[in-house]
Amino acid sequence: MSLLEVKNLRIEYPSRHGVHAAVKSLSFTIERGEIVGVVGESGAGKSTVGNAIIDLLSPPGVIASGEVFLEGEKVSGLSPQEMRKVRGSKIGFIFQDPMTSLNPLFTIERQLTETILANLDVTPEEALSRALTLMEQVGIPEPHLRIKQYPHQFSGGMRQRVVIAIALSGEPDLIIADEPTTALDVSIQDQILKLIRDLCIKKNVGCMLVTHDMGVVSNVTDKVAVMYRGDLVEFGATQQVLGTPEHDYTRSLISAVPRSDIKLDRFPLVSYIEEAHEMEQLDIKTHWLGQSEDQRIYTGPLLNVENVSLRFITKDSFFESRREFVQASNNVSFQIQEGETFGLVGESGSGKSTIARVIAGLYPPDEGKVTFEGVDLTALKSEKERRPMRRQMQMVFQNPYTSMNPRMKIFDIIAEPIRFHKLAESEAQIRQIVHDLLDHVGLGRMAGVKYPHEFSGGQRQRISIARALATRPRLLICDEPTSALDVSVQAQILNLLKDLQDELNLTMLFISHDLPVIRQVCDRIGVMKQGQLLEISPTEQLFTNPQHEYSKHLVSLMPEFKGLRNDLESA
Amino acid sequence: MFTFLVKRLFQALIVMFVISLVAFAIQDNLGDPLRELVGQSVSEEERQVLRDELGLNDPYMTKYTRFVSNAVQGDLGTSYFFKKPAAEVILNKLQATLELVFGAALIIVFVSIPLGVFSAIHPKSAWTKVIMALSSFGISVPVFLTAIMLMYVFSIELNWLPSYGRGDTVNILGWETGFLTKDGLLHLILPSISLASIMLPLFIRLVRSEMLEALSSEYVKFATAKGLAMNKIYYQHALKNTMLPVLTVGGVQIGTMVAYTILTETVFQWPGTGFLFLEAINRVDTPLITAYVIFVGLIFVVTNTIVDLLYGVVNPTVNITGKGA
Amino acid sequence: MKFYKTKLAAALLAAGLSFTSSAADITVAYDADPVSLDPHEQLSEGTMQMSHMLFDPLVRLTKEFDFEARLAEKWQRIDDTTFRFNLRKGVKFHSGNTMTADDVVWTFNRLKVSGDFKAIFAPYEKMVKVDDYTVEIKSTEPYPLVLQTATYIFPMDSKFYGGQIDGKDKAAIVKHGNSFASTNVSGTGPFIVTSREQGIKVVFERFDDYWDTKSPGNVDKLTLVPIKENATRVAALLSGDVDMIHPVAPNDQKRVKTTKDIELTTLSGTRIITFQMNQNSNPALKDVRVRQAIVHAINNKGIVKKIMKGFATTAGQQGPAGYSGYDEALVPRYDLKKAKQLMKEAGYEKGFKLSMMAPNNRYVNDAKIAQAASAMLSKIGIKVDLKTLPKAQYWPEFDVCAADMMMIGWHSDTEDSANFSEFLTMTRNKETGKGAYNCGYYANPEVDKLVNEANSETDIAKRSASLQKVEQILYKEAAFVPLHWQNLAWGSKSNLQITPIVNAQNFPYFGDLVVK
Repeated sequence: MSLLEVKNLRIEYPSRHGVHAAVKSLSFTIERGEIVGVVGESGAGKSTVGNAIIDLLSPPGVIASGEVFLEGEKVSGLSPQEMRKVRGSKIGFIFQDPMTSLNPLFTIERQLTETILANLDVTPEEALSRALTLMEQVGIPEPHLRIKQYPHQFSGGMRQRVVIAIALSGEPDLIIADEPTTALDVSIQDQILKLIRDLCIKKNVGCMLVTHDMGVVSNVTDKVAVMYRGDLVEFGATQQVLGTPEHDYTRSLISAVPRSDIKLDRFPLVSYIEEAHEMEQLDIKTHWLGQSEDQRIYTGPLLNVENVSLRFITKDSFFESRREFVQASNNVSFQIQEGETFGLVGESGSGKSTIARVIAGLYPPDEGKVTFEGVDLTALKSEKERRPMRRQMQMVFQNPYTSMNPRMKIFDIIAEPIRFHKLAESEAQIRQIVHDLLDHVGLGRMAGVKYPHEFSGGQRQRISIARALATRPRLLICDEPTSALDVSVQAQILNLLKDLQDELNLTMLFISHDLPVIRQVCDRIGVMKQGQLLEISPTEQLFTNPQHEYSKHLVSLMPEFKGLRNDLESA
Repeated sequence: MFTFLVKRLFQALIVMFVISLVAFAIQDNLGDPLRELVGQSVSEEERQVLRDELGLNDPYMTKYTRFVSNAVQGDLGTSYFFKKPAAEVILNKLQATLELVFGAALIIVFVSIPLGVFSAIHPKSAWTKVIMALSSFGISVPVFLTAIMLMYVFSIELNWLPSYGRGDTVNILGWETGFLTKDGLLHLILPSISLASIMLPLFIRLVRSEMLEALSSEYVKFATAKGLAMNKIYYQHALKNTMLPVLTVGGVQIGTMVAYTILTETVFQWPGTGFLFLEAINRVDTPLITAYVIFVGLIFVVTNTIVDLLYGVVNPTVNITGKGA
Repeated sequence: MKFYKTKLAAALLAAGLSFTSSAADITVAYDADPVSLDPHEQLSEGTMQMSHMLFDPLVRLTKEFDFEARLAEKWQRIDDTTFRFNLRKGVKFHSGNTMTADDVVWTFNRLKVSGDFKAIFAPYEKMVKVDDYTVEIKSTEPYPLVLQTATYIFPMDSKFYGGQIDGKDKAAIVKHGNSFASTNVSGTGPFIVTSREQGIKVVFERFDDYWDTKSPGNVDKLTLVPIKENATRVAALLSGDVDMIHPVAPNDQKRVKTTKDIELTTLSGTRIITFQMNQNSNPALKDVRVRQAIVHAINNKGIVKKIMKGFATTAGQQGPAGYSGYDEALVPRYDLKKAKQLMKEAGYEKGFKLSMMAPNNRYVNDAKIAQAASAMLSKIGIKVDLKTLPKAQYWPEFDVCAADMMMIGWHSDTEDSANFSEFLTMTRNKETGKGAYNCGYYANPEVDKLVNEANSETDIAKRSASLQKVEQILYKEAAFVPLHWQNLAWGSKSNLQITPIVNAQNFPYFGDLVVK
């Protein structure tokens, strides 16, 4: 008898427009001491499965058919009262974001002990001592002190440890971990995954690990279930599924994962992709896009960042001596040559986005200067002087939705910069340019009449790239452009960027926390930590022979995705 | 903490200074105070003499300078009608107003929180629909009408509650309170309800929306996944988080209710500062008007400060001393 | 006079004996409370009402405008300029002191220096003590209104108010700021003040040693509360929280009348409401035909019926019935046809524009009346630019006669016709102070002469003839637009017998109030 057995599970979301089946006839099992990865891209229904098992589907989701057994006992269709007894004491749950899954107003002690008291028949004193033991087990130092603290006094990684401690505190037989490391930095991610793995083995509990990250799957799981649009396409031992995938989707998913071990020219073509038109080829020589007056030959570095420092005030005070600062950027210098892709990598808070904003002129630096094609940007006084510089530098953000006016049609969003900078002679020409751009980024000109909310994340990122191109920029600053996207979509966007760069001779500053992505995209890479630029190396050298200790550390933590090595070419 | 309070004190002084400038600038447009001081047969010449005595004929800057130099010594002027220092008159009436506001606040707290929480937990209940409909209706009913209706039903028709005034009070350490006598409490009911009616619909909606937000949060979902009883999740986890924004918005609103008492106090002849202010305007009691307006400015700053301090106490993630200016 | 007084006293006594069962404790709600306990600080209704409770005048008016002996037992005119009062003996002040002629003279002298009251006592040269219980008042010219002014002499306790406190005269009259007399009181009246919270309540209790032992009054304790809001005041009465209220707004009167165990008592009042037509600011108003047209165009009967709900007496002249100058032939004269005819005659067939101002919180329904009047004037082609203001802002405008037509109400402090003319229709004169409220700038030497003559005519009949002549002239020349005299209304519980104690001056004699 398996620990968990899911049989023909079907989950539906009824709505006015009909019934949407988030999960269609799913069956799999989990044994004690075993970690089963449920993997898939957004919309695959993987999180829905976890929520359905403990009856936490968000309304109006319902289990339409199928059953869930825990140690042979049916747990689907239980009354709320009976279900409550299953939660916590039989099944522990770990959510994605430790920042939001703890109640900010209660101490860790309270949140731990209340869980223990709700699930186990112990005295409050015993609950406290168990809580302390648990904190020790999940690797929180000085549990006696820290138990009295509030969640905000913990770092993200420590909080996720607390969440794990809470999930374990009812002594469950099964743990469902829903993207437990997605919100964490790469160095923390590794520790948390190890912790989960160790605890599962030690306590002999089963674990269902929901994730989109193939690296995580390959590193931690024993078995893997691959989901695609509500269907289980493949289920089996991790080695087997990743090594010799049977299903086309699995194959394409694996091929879309950025390789950490080798730099490829392009991502292999992905067969299971969202609706994107074929990219229309343009004759750049004759097209408007290739006829910018800015296309001149400049011999020096296109962008020169010299000794840029910037600090933010975190605590203001009338007395200067009592003010507190965070040094977001500390004496950072680098150069980018024309046509080059320069990567900045680092964990959250390392100051990489700050540098991007300084270059774009959004923050004036405290010290240092930024020159673009020999022009000192920081010395420009008026908006009028800055405008031509702005036109030549465009940004692509992580979350394109927030940077688009939801009430404007896509056509107008893209036409806006052309109109603003008066780059076209007539409205007819603008229409032609926008349509070409939409075709060129693979959306099709019909997309112009729609509004931003009608598009998926990947499509929106295409829109924002099209908008960035509309000013015929020479430098494209991409700040985590694919972090919010699924791997297959990420692969497409990265391919698109690469194609555009080749065509238009674009220079790129590419910022990411994701080392494999950086490796695939960049020519040279700068490593940042706490506002400092520690090392600049050509890409391959950084990955094969990192100089700085921190770089070595980062590279060593990179999730090693070893699968499909032989099949790549055939996919 | 200390810097915070000093900063707030400084802020209060600036607020009061600006208000006093404005109050002074408009007071010449309020009318002629003399008419309320003399009988009809007193000649214009004699009125001019009185105006001179009162300093009403001085130019604006002279009057204002005199006012400020007196004010820094704690003298906000003398009320024409009460013939006592304006500050003393206001402080005297403040007790009644604070008790009224407190009564209204109690009603708001004990009505809006249960109703708001209920309607958030049971969004589909028929009761929720009734509550929300009533609160939409309540927002649009003017307080004057509420007060008259209450009076009509409970005083005239049913004769359960007194129609005006404050009733018997007892003096506790210099504070005249109506909370300790039956008569005083009975007198408090109708004015408190009508004052509360201004903000009650708003608070019900506020509590409801904050509670809904708390209920849809990850930590509530996580608490559910931990196997906690639903009551514990609703009334401990969600409610406490609900109360934080309610405290900030609500605390400030309840503080500003001191300034909203004008209509309620007038209808119920409640001897507080709001009624005092309206009367002062009718009587062109300019020193009292100026003092009151400045005082209201102070109330705003004080309530904001208290709310901020309380917020810091309730919310562990906020450190008052670390807050920017 | 004396005969009458005895009759009245006997009637009151009989009523008192048959109904008085026990001492009563009542609460009375007015729209305002007295600003000060000093009877000489401000000449206002509130002060006078209070004075009649805490003090007694030498004489007082009955409902029929006759004089009733109070602290003066007897009085007689000695010659054209001298008038003698014989004072009542054995009258005790609240302090325990006995009232004598010294107190009366002291009070008279204090009135002479009071800013608000000195105008009333201007005709007098002095008051002299003849003996301990006799005083004589001497006027500079023959003066007919001695008894009227004597209603303002409320003898004060000269020993109590004499001397100094904190280096200041106890008797000082201070308009702005505190004084001994504004917070301490010793009179001879039926009540003493036991507690006073300004703007909240004043508690009166019966004075044990009150001289008028024949008074049927049985009110032992009277709490006076100011209730500003009309609706609240009525609610307080209807709910039984108070026993008596004044005023009762026209809209509430029906309700009060029809409620069980609650009575409405009304009296026609003496305050005239008028519009003045400014001949200085608008040349059209210089033409008597235009003024007459305006008077004919304004349907004051309609205003009384529709706006005042019958709670006013339509007026055609200044003084009400019962006043010396009243001429019953001077009736209201609304006639739209005639008004149009007059406009035509005056050459204003096409009408003209004029500005109008009125207060909006001074007289009953003042703003509504002004709106109605301006609508009525539009019917004869006069386009009115109306502005209504709160009283506090209205008076400064009135002081400079800022509009072509301005509303003014007037109550004669002397309860006599001449007073209206002195302030409203005599030629403006800075030196004599006449016509101080004459924003019509109406000037007629004949009117001035007749009023001045009347003021030194001690023969009542001759005097009345002069004052009636004045009213006739004003009527003929349309010197102003008479609207109505505001009525007075009190609401009370049925067990309060308030009809005998209320009067047109609105100074209820609470000392004589009988509560069943």
